[in-house]
Amino acid sequence: MEQFFELLITAFLIMAGLFGLVGSFGLLKLNDAMSRLHAPTKATTLGVGGVLLASMANAYANGPYLSVHELMITLFLLLTAPITANFIAKVHIHQRESRNSLPTAGEDGAWATKNLPDTDEG
Amino acid sequence: MSLFLIAALPFLGALFPALLIRAGRNAAAASAGFTTFLAFVGLLLNAPAVLRGEVIQARLDWLPGLGLNTNFFLDGLGLLFAGLILGIGLLIILYARFYLSREDPMGQFYTYLLLFQGAMVGIVLSDNILLLLVFWELTSLSSFLLIGYWKHLPEGRQGARMALAVTGSGGLAMIAGMLILGHIVGSYDLTVILQHKEMIQASPLYLPALILILIGAFTKSAQFPFHFWLPHAMAAPTPVSAYLHSATMVKAGLFLMARMWPVLAGTPEWFYIVATTGLITMVLGAVIALFKDDLKALLAFSTVSHLGLITMLLGFGTKIAAVAAVFHIINHATFKAALFMSAGIIDHETHTRDIKRLGGLRFLMPITFTIALIACLSMAGLPPFNGFLSKEMMLEEAFHTSWMGSPYFIPGLAVFAALFSAAYSFRYIVHVFLGPKRHDYPAHPHDPGTGLWLAPAFLVFLVIAIGIGSNHIVGPLVSVAAGAVIGGELPYFSLKLWHGFTPALWMSLAAVTGGLLLLWLHPRLSKMWNAAPRPEAKVIFDSLLGTLTRASRGVTDALHNGSITRYSAIMVAFTIAISLYAYQSGVASEATRAVQQAGALPVIGWICLVSATGFIVLNHRNRLLALVLIGVVGLIVSLSFNYLSAPDLALTQISVEVVTIILMLLALNFLPKETPVESPLAIRARDAVIAIVAGTGVGGLIYALMTRDFSAPSISEFHLANSYKGGGGTNVVNVILVDFRGYDTFGEIIVLGIAALVIYALTEAILGSKVRAYLLNRKPDSPQDGDPHPLMMVVATRVMMPLALMVAAYIFFRGHNLPGGGFIAGLIAAIAMLMQYMASGFSWAAERQKVYYHGIIGSGVLIAAATGMGAWLAGQPFLTSAFGYLHWAPLEEFEWATAALFDLGVFLAVVGAVMLTLESLARLAWQPGMNSEHAMDINPARDDAAKLKEEV
Repeated sequence: MEQFFELLITAFLIMAGLFGLVGSFGLLKLNDAMSRLHAPTKATTLGVGGVLLASMANAYANGPYLSVHELMITLFLLLTAPITANFIAKVHIHQRESRNSLPTAGEDGAWATKNLPDTDEG
Repeated sequence: MSLFLIAALPFLGALFPALLIRAGRNAAAASAGFTTFLAFVGLLLNAPAVLRGEVIQARLDWLPGLGLNTNFFLDGLGLLFAGLILGIGLLIILYARFYLSREDPMGQFYTYLLLFQGAMVGIVLSDNILLLLVFWELTSLSSFLLIGYWKHLPEGRQGARMALAVTGSGGLAMIAGMLILGHIVGSYDLTVILQHKEMIQASPLYLPALILILIGAFTKSAQFPFHFWLPHAMAAPTPVSAYLHSATMVKAGLFLMARMWPVLAGTPEWFYIVATTGLITMVLGAVIALFKDDLKALLAFSTVSHLGLITMLLGFGTKIAAVAAVFHIINHATFKAALFMSAGIIDHETHTRDIKRLGGLRFLMPITFTIALIACLSMAGLPPFNGFLSKEMMLEEAFHTSWMGSPYFIPGLAVFAALFSAAYSFRYIVHVFLGPKRHDYPAHPHDPGTGLWLAPAFLVFLVIAIGIGSNHIVGPLVSVAAGAVIGGELPYFSLKLWHGFTPALWMSLAAVTGGLLLLWLHPRLSKMWNAAPRPEAKVIFDSLLGTLTRASRGVTDALHNGSITRYSAIMVAFTIAISLYAYQSGVASEATRAVQQAGALPVIGWICLVSATGFIVLNHRNRLLALVLIGVVGLIVSLSFNYLSAPDLALTQISVEVVTIILMLLALNFLPKETPVESPLAIRARDAVIAIVAGTGVGGLIYALMTRDFSAPSISEFHLANSYKGGGGTNVVNVILVDFRGYDTFGEIIVLGIAALVIYALTEAILGSKVRAYLLNRKPDSPQDGDPHPLMMVVATRVMMPLALMVAAYIFFRGHNLPGGGFIAGLIAAIAMLMQYMASGFSWAAERQKVYYHGIIGSGVLIAAATGMGAWLAGQPFLTSAFGYLHWAPLEEFEWATAALFDLGVFLAVVGAVMLTLESLARLAWQPGMNSEHAMDINPARDDAAKLKEEV
């Protein structure tokens, strides 16, 4: 049983490290902001998640009781990380893109960030 | 009535006119009159005992360590002056009610008047020279308000400033003199000081103390060369002039000289300084008065002259001269107040005070004429009025006094002054009331209503009554007052009209005859006077003041030119200089602590910190980037707190960091995104040198501090030992905040609240000014976002709000025993609300926020105060905390502590202060069109697809 937990914890940690590495590498490697946005998401979700799962498993196996604090951390991360990404994307569109450089916006007709009355443009 | 109450009544009463003016002018006047009347009655209740020769005392130790005690005493002199102040005060209140016009704010007037009255009563009743000084300065301040009452007139403002500058600086000199006096005797109590004449006069410090005290008295009593402020103070409304210059303000200096007479008088220094100054002032005032065409200016200089007369009598240093001085104080107060009021009536009815435009008024204003006639004859020194009696005594005394060995000098000048005094008194009658009726008065003159003439009529009744029945009416009062001045056996004196053919009678006769002659010669003399060059006091004063102002402005501008860079450069350079001095003159002990090995984590943090600060230096001109980098520094600092086992500090730091960055982002909104380079290279190099030296110095100092043990045991041990035992909490940091240093925390939340209110007030002030239009029409310097309230953000913050509030509650409740507490919880709750403002915009969130943040701050402070005061119920000092344990059946045993309630106050104050600041900054940024009825711009659940299409 002990060995099982040790293996489990190790697997979680390796997964976390791997995704953290991939995320960081992607941040360096990818070329433009919109692509780069994808890389750190791996690190925040699977990377941090792996560490948290390892921590929970460790607390259950070796500690006095099962810890669920880590779930709260996951919850807050899942709540905040998408918003950060959303804002970075919006800032990019706002500052670097124009209406013409953006792909068509589908049935809505306009991208929200660029949805301004014409007089205010420029 | 207790002396405390008599002194306090005018101050208490000062509240009422200002409030009651809403109920009308009569109510305001009546409330002022009623308080004065009460104080007057209280004084009269004490009068019989004082007249029997007793001294009434009331003592209360205020700051005994400083020798400053609220001790009052009432002797004859105090009774005389307090009676004059309150009695004439009553008449002035009546007179002013009818004198002031509908446009004048009467509530303010009576409030100022009562404040002044209270300060005067305080002076004459004080039994402690430090207390007396406090009241002395209060008279300077309140008379400033009274003289400048007509603030729309430049003369009023300038006169008030001049009076404040002269009497205020005299007051400063007097403080020094009084402190020396108290130092000589070893007590600041007047009754004690008055018993040490020999000790004071033998002291080498006698002369400096005398001169300093006399400067105070002379400035207040308008003695030469400080006499010039009094005529300029005539710009005040006439009731003020009548009050300040007949019975009160200018008599304060005389009162002080009379009060100090027993210990200061009797030396040659006293005689030559006081008597000579008095003599010069008397002659100068009388001569100038004759050539003034403005009624009030004439009276002003005549007041200067009479004050000189009394000063001279006090300066003689003989007992009988002191009696004459006291008697003339009463007489001058009665006839001069009546004359000022009559001048006010003339001004009120004819709309001019220029003697050249008046004349023949006896037909048109018979009542005023009668009043002015009696008062003027008394001022000229004619029998059977009271002025005659005291002038006779003065001349008698002058006749017996020789100056520098010359027996003619003083009597001669005294007759000369009396002659001019008679002349200007006659001029007041002849040129204003006698002569033919004219047709070119600015207004149609007629006698005023009863309200205006009643007060002066009562005063001239006193003038006659004292003149005829002096021994019966004022004899006893003069006896006790003079007894208090002399402080010993009274000489024989008799207040009566006929003393036989004495030298004084002949001198008096000469003065009156000469006065009539002078009046006849007046037109010719006046031409000569106007042609002659004279120094103009106001011009000299203004140029002196201008020079002083320029000099101080030069110094100030060099140090404070409004540039924050310069302030910090001066401050840091100065600190470096004194630190250098301390470093060279001090000794540093050997290092006692070994340097520890740094782990990998601290090194990483250190690298982050150094590179962040380095980038700030390089990029500080890009404001947004600088702010982000500051955020990085804050984050590392809070992480290092956590690493060094200070979780409380880490929590506080990180929440403060979040709030600060958000508020600074809001403020940045109003600034350009980049700071331009403005200063030349040399200045930047200088600043860099200062910064590097200071930074290295601080770093070295901290390193030295950390490698040594404390030289004295630290207080931490006490806190650790007593935190649980005494405070009932295991979190020492929180127990320090809410218990050990609870008083500090209480002060701090008040300061925090005040800071937030100041930001709010500044916002209000800005929005009330022209800047508002600019703010409303401000164009953003970069294009705006089309979707400022994105769906994801709005939804997420809604979900976070209860979670964050729950975290705040959790942190709050566990604070006493585990890291947390009211301050941190307050910040977290504020952040939870800040998120809503950020997500849905200020106006949307503000509409849904029903409680005013001011109220939250206030309730926080009140809850903290109430918790602190709760300790009183248990007989403990303020802010003593209590704690205990409760066991309710289904729950675990838990602790309660009053400190938690106090912490609640901290919590509320923090929430309110942060949110009020945010709200203020957001209001500045508000522009029309920012109001949104929806929480988010794009909501798939909302059916406004049609509208969107239309827009595109």
